[in-house]
Amino acid sequence: MRTGKPEDASDNVPQRPSAKLGVQDYKELLNQLYLARYFDVRLIKEKKRGRLKGTLYSSHNQEAVIVGSLFGLQPTDWISPIHRDMPAFFMKDFRSGWRNPERLGMSIQEVCAQVWGRTGSPGRARDNWSHIGSRRAHIVHSTSMLAGTIPAAAGVVLADRLRGENTVALTYNGEGSTAQGVFHEAINFAAVHKLPLVTIIENNHWAYGTPTELEYSQRDFARRADGYGIPGLIADGQDVLDVYDKVMEAVEHARSGQGPSIVECKTFRAYGHGDHDDDRAAKYRPKDEVEDGRKRDPIAVMKEQMVKLGYMTKAEAAMFAAENKGAGEVTDADFPPEVVAYMNEGVEFAVAQPEPPAEEGGMWVFAEGE
Amino acid sequence: MAKTEAPARTKINYLTALKEAIFEEFERDADLVGMGEDIGLLGGAFGVTDGLLDKFGRDRVFDMPISEAAIVGTACGLCLNGKKVMVEMQFIDFISCGFDQIVNMTATYHYRTAGEVSMPMVIRGPAGGYGGGALYHSQMNEAWFANSPGLKIVCPSTPADAKGLLKSAFRDPNPVMVYEMKELYRRRDIEEEVAVGDDAIVPIGKARVRREGDDVTIVTYGNNVYHALAAADNLASEGFSAEVVDIRSLVPLDEATIKESLAKTNRLVVVNEAPRTCGFAGEILARLAEEAFELLDAPPMRVTRLDTPVPWVKPLETFVLPSVDKITETALRACRY
Repeated sequence: MRTGKPEDASDNVPQRPSAKLGVQDYKELLNQLYLARYFDVRLIKEKKRGRLKGTLYSSHNQEAVIVGSLFGLQPTDWISPIHRDMPAFFMKDFRSGWRNPERLGMSIQEVCAQVWGRTGSPGRARDNWSHIGSRRAHIVHSTSMLAGTIPAAAGVVLADRLRGENTVALTYNGEGSTAQGVFHEAINFAAVHKLPLVTIIENNHWAYGTPTELEYSQRDFARRADGYGIPGLIADGQDVLDVYDKVMEAVEHARSGQGPSIVECKTFRAYGHGDHDDDRAAKYRPKDEVEDGRKRDPIAVMKEQMVKLGYMTKAEAAMFAAENKGAGEVTDADFPPEVVAYMNEGVEFAVAQPEPPAEEGGMWVFAEGE
Repeated sequence: MAKTEAPARTKINYLTALKEAIFEEFERDADLVGMGEDIGLLGGAFGVTDGLLDKFGRDRVFDMPISEAAIVGTACGLCLNGKKVMVEMQFIDFISCGFDQIVNMTATYHYRTAGEVSMPMVIRGPAGGYGGGALYHSQMNEAWFANSPGLKIVCPSTPADAKGLLKSAFRDPNPVMVYEMKELYRRRDIEEEVAVGDDAIVPIGKARVRREGDDVTIVTYGNNVYHALAAADNLASEGFSAEVVDIRSLVPLDEATIKESLAKTNRLVVVNEAPRTCGFAGEILARLAEEAFELLDAPPMRVTRLDTPVPWVKPLETFVLPSVDKITETALRACRY
């Protein structure tokens, strides 16, 4: 069974960290799910209109992993997102306020300027799309070498530890990247030194065009933890609250000096590997599997729980119906206006920016001075 | 450190010079940490870091698992977050296991962040052949990294240069690779007095003329500096005077010193230990052919390893590596052209 709640996901509600969350937290989480989804579908639309270059690696249907994992972090904690986690760059430290300039995350303006390839990008559009980061915001700069930033994430928290600061690093990885040697090397080292490193495995069941059974001999990628003597947790990646619970458990474990953990979030890649691959994905993925996988939309799952708890009425839940719709079917009216407005601020900023001057291509190979 | 009159010092070997650089810079800069295989408890496979752990403790000196990618990658994260790191490769041959972390993560960091993040990392390790180390303990793989923008590369041939360049490497905001010549580590006849503190600094990017001459310029670095000097003696007995230029730094390369020498000799022989195809000697030849063609009275020539791995037993190793005889013969051809 590829989707649905994993067998060992905890139903022990009173002990879950999310038990302390109130109605406002739930509403915020739902709004963040909308925003992550809107960011994705908006970029798909912009790309289809020919306004963007490069490849979009859609996080559609995997938003609960990003939103739920970031929600409980401290502002100074570090994250290391990859190509499918683009919303994480601007959603980090959202608790400090979406528009707070002091927030230790990127602004939506910076992220959009990056996607549009404009000077307002944090890296002045030198590498594409998700390949950005920020020392100020404690975001490790991402590259194309999957699992390649896990040792850097170990390094930044080691540096903090040497200064007596207690930060945690959260790295994001597809299940495919767990086969890389550097994945093993970095987590092995982190386990030896009990570094506060939480490795999230976004198990969306496909490494580009290769299914999990050709990637790993066991069903649960969390079992990779066993070899390092560290906890390996499994979360329902469609349930933002379950992701929050499992990641918080790992984060507290790390912050209390007990060392790293792996959190496998079982989710499903709704579309192709990248937008270049959407049509071809139908060739290698069984149709019924795709249909099943898209059934548990994280927005719908969250709404269901909120209705059950009385945090929203059924009518309210029906108001913005972004769930279970592809990028081509959904419209701005399916999202809360504040979500659309936030994204618009980023897009407006980006399109007003110039491309970087050509000669910058030859700059910054070396740092000057001592 | 104040520039005071240095007291007379005893001569030290190449390895001790490296050790002095490391201890002095660890003392000077509390942000500097070391990572490598067996560099702590053991003091390094060759003893370069002997005593470092005792002096600076476990928060500065890390005995790492056999994980070159994690060593470089963790160092990269430390640099991202305000530290400076000395990475020791137990043998430079093993650097291939950490290749991606060096060329894709570390070397590009300053470039891809438009200058936001620099990587003050030193990657150093024993390199080079002539010791019967066979395929995986004899390599000179500097060309891989010269072909990866963002890395500085040095290769000292004397104790003073070893200390001075390593100290400069520690103070450089860029990743610097230091190719240490393990066959020179304990060589007695090159021991020399070496300065202490800032006086010992040798700037990166400056070549050194090791022997002056008028008929041919032999450009090289590392182990082959000594082969070139011996070849210059041979040439002298044939009536030719050779100038020997030790480039010391590959990236950046001091082309001016080579051109100055060529203006005098008009003949160029470049020697490197690495294989011929795409070795650094080829790069030097190409640049001089492009930029100083008018200075040349003979085709520029190379002496390199054959395009083979480095084999183990002596006759085989000698067959493939540059030697005094091969340099002499090539330089004579240049002189007689």
